[in-house]
Amino acid sequence: MSSASSNMTSNLNAVAAATAKTPSQAPVRNSLWWDAFRRFKKNKIGVVSFWVIISYVIIAILAATGLIFPDAQVPNQAEAYSSISWAHPFGTDIFGRDILGRAVHGIVTAISIGLLASTLSLVIGLVLGAIAGYFGGKVDAFVVWLYTTVDSIPYILLIPSLTFVLGRGLINVFIAVGLTSWVTTARLVRGEFFKHKSREYVMAAHAIGAGDGRKIFGHILPNVAHLAFVQFGLGFVSAIKIEVILSYLGLGVDPSQPSWGLMIDDAKNELARPYWGNLAAATVFMFGLILSFNLFNDALREALDPKMKNK
Amino acid sequence: MSRNNSTVQNATVDSKFRPRSQSATFLQVLLAGAVAVALAVTGCTKKRFDENDNSLNLVLRANVKGLDPASANDLYSSTVINQMYEGLLAYNYLKRPFTLQPALAEAMPEISKDGLTYTFKIKKGVKFHDNAAFPDGKGREVTAQDFVYSWKRLADPRNTSEGFWIFDGKIKGLNEWATAVKNEKANYDTPVEGLQTPDSHTLVVKLTGVYHQLAYVLAMPFASVVAREAVDKYGKEFLNNPVGTGPFVLEKPSDWVRNSKITLKKNPTYRPDTYPSEGMPGDAEKGLLADAGKQLPLVDKLVFSEIVEDQPRWQNGLKGNFDWVEIPKDNFDNAVSKEDRSKIVPDLAAKGLSLDITPALDVTYIGFNMVDPVLGKNKLLRQAMSKAFDSKTYIEKFLNGRGIAAQGPVPPGIDSYDEAFKNPNVAFSLEEAKALLAKAGFPEGKGLPEFQYEGLADSTARQGAEFFVQAMASIGVKVKINSNTWPQFQEKIKAQKAQIFGIAWGADYPDAQNFLQLFYSKNKTPGPNDTSFNSPEFDKAYEASLKLPPGAERTKLYQKMRDIVADETPWIFNAHRLGYKLVHGWVGNFKWTEVANDYPKYIRIDAKKRAELGNKL
Repeated sequence: MSSASSNMTSNLNAVAAATAKTPSQAPVRNSLWWDAFRRFKKNKIGVVSFWVIISYVIIAILAATGLIFPDAQVPNQAEAYSSISWAHPFGTDIFGRDILGRAVHGIVTAISIGLLASTLSLVIGLVLGAIAGYFGGKVDAFVVWLYTTVDSIPYILLIPSLTFVLGRGLINVFIAVGLTSWVTTARLVRGEFFKHKSREYVMAAHAIGAGDGRKIFGHILPNVAHLAFVQFGLGFVSAIKIEVILSYLGLGVDPSQPSWGLMIDDAKNELARPYWGNLAAATVFMFGLILSFNLFNDALREALDPKMKNK
Repeated sequence: MSRNNSTVQNATVDSKFRPRSQSATFLQVLLAGAVAVALAVTGCTKKRFDENDNSLNLVLRANVKGLDPASANDLYSSTVINQMYEGLLAYNYLKRPFTLQPALAEAMPEISKDGLTYTFKIKKGVKFHDNAAFPDGKGREVTAQDFVYSWKRLADPRNTSEGFWIFDGKIKGLNEWATAVKNEKANYDTPVEGLQTPDSHTLVVKLTGVYHQLAYVLAMPFASVVAREAVDKYGKEFLNNPVGTGPFVLEKPSDWVRNSKITLKKNPTYRPDTYPSEGMPGDAEKGLLADAGKQLPLVDKLVFSEIVEDQPRWQNGLKGNFDWVEIPKDNFDNAVSKEDRSKIVPDLAAKGLSLDITPALDVTYIGFNMVDPVLGKNKLLRQAMSKAFDSKTYIEKFLNGRGIAAQGPVPPGIDSYDEAFKNPNVAFSLEEAKALLAKAGFPEGKGLPEFQYEGLADSTARQGAEFFVQAMASIGVKVKINSNTWPQFQEKIKAQKAQIFGIAWGADYPDAQNFLQLFYSKNKTPGPNDTSFNSPEFDKAYEASLKLPPGAERTKLYQKMRDIVADETPWIFNAHRLGYKLVHGWVGNFKWTEVANDYPKYIRIDAKKRAELGNKL
């Protein structure tokens, strides 16, 4: 049944073709996803950014499992504020800990926050956007009211107040960020659902007796999934930045956890001394990750944009 | 359908621009910060110093809340209040240890044999500042009745004064008067048994019990005399319209620009008050007696700037816009020689600056909640944690060595402090700490829950908390940090919910009692005993000490109390801080005092020297 509807829609509308679900069409290799992948491969900046992100992830996994920089959190008071050397490329901090090691462990914090928070916000945004757009009426009015309310409070005020309620720590930061950053996704998905729900392929599915759940998740959702991908990437970047800002303000992760925000907070006082290791390491690592994520997102969006198909 | 499409388009545009605008905001904040700092640094070079302007320019590190003595409960407000208001007694400017002398009183009080009646003779001819509150605008003479009125203001529940604790339950009939006022059964004309005025210049204070600290609290700004006419005229605005008897006067309310600057002028009708002619040995050599016998104040104008941020305060201070400035922790190496921590760096010395080091009369500590089921019942565990905390390294790291490792609650400079006393539980030793922990039944921390440390959220407090956690981890005790705002932090302590917390106490007056009361069981939190320490032996000694006048017997009791808390370890004693200030070459008669805030009237400014040195800065 699903393949029937897909075949129909691929004739009607190439954008709407959810061919990823139909292995029989794989050899043809002209699906939306395959097109997107080909377009993405041509974008050199996008590919480089992708590999940079992958290496960040690998480093994070190695650090989290203790294979590299296992002693990043162990203080060594005798070596406090030592300057640059081969052993400590960015020097050491107030407690004599290697700043490079702390920055590397900061990747673990950043990536886990980014991953968990943007997953949470994506799930909330997709579900709320989908049911609002699909059902319309009172459900829609409620969801629109909800996200307008959430969106009317500046996030820089909303997230700190949530962390005040939930307390500090990695889990609470990701819940706070996730609960507040789903609005854009919900709005986009709601609009797409409005557009798609009266399209022929949905009507066809309806005609052969598909239920609401099946139409939402089986038919329409695969056709708006490219939006979700892009939103996920954007959410990832903003979650990392929010974590850094919150930790800098003293509202973020537990202080015994390495975080770029805490390192910049340390640096705030140290610059007058002057020790710049913390600031340099945190910003270089953050810059690399966020820049490559933004470039990767741009490339991904271009690749997934059907209007770019024939370029 | 078209409406829906437009929604989608808007949303798409939004999603494209959103991340960029966010990163722009972050950059803008950084840029704005850089510009602000640059302006603060360059802006002050425009200032030129006038050869005839001997004004004293001081800086406060927090904003002034108001200028009513009844609410002078923070250092910054009370510093300004002290220039315009006076009480019966004040501290001698030069003598150490701190010695009280009469201010508005003619002489020190006559105290009855039972210690319950104090008789003050009040100076004749002391006038309130000229103010529109008085008929024809001329300040009238101060009488004993004015003190009765001013002290009743502290007790008046409608004023919710933070200063009533100085008289609470101490003066006969005052608490009863306050209750009657609350029930609208009394007013300011209702007499109070313990505050009598046999004639216009005699004040008799009757106490409910012996209160040796009375003389000290009378020197606090809370007990200053205020003009009833001004309170009646200005009502709530009295906070902004100070009318007292002090050496300086706020000529008009607009001379105080909120959160920025307070400009005070010399009081033309100030009482005869002269610079002391006797000091401590060495004071004469430092030139501190050159102005002996001269009428105060020695400057015509006094300006307090309010600057909260460290760096602008420091930069303005270096430029000579303030006559002295405290050295922030992170600028320490730029100001103080690395080889000798008691010497200023040569290039600042060449500009005529000098370094002043004065103990701050305070103690910083890490408190244990004594009602906590694990910490409160286990003295050996507390001792082990205390021994694992290296206060010397802490002082080196966080105070640039500007502190003395505290052995007990009482700081140096206060009676009963004994330099020779070494608290065995303060001496850092990981081996002994581990042994004590094993003896307590928790070898290597096994069997202990994870403790919660409560601290503040600012960077330095957070680093201090991390230091504590690392110290505890070195003997296997696990601690989690909770960062709080100041009100949250206070609330947790007051509700006995804080398990371990880092905090400090500064002296209200130079008597060890002010520190030892922090362990008295009847003061337990929400009172000042924030660990809820309870020891009948300590209480007995404390109660006995209250009845004793200053002297060897009382000192002995104070030291006994210190030994009890040193052994019980309700606190990890951390540091007595030292204040480091840079003083410009044109400032004369500078002798820093931690308990008294009336110093500006003693300071001399050499305007000619300032014009010469200052314009080179």
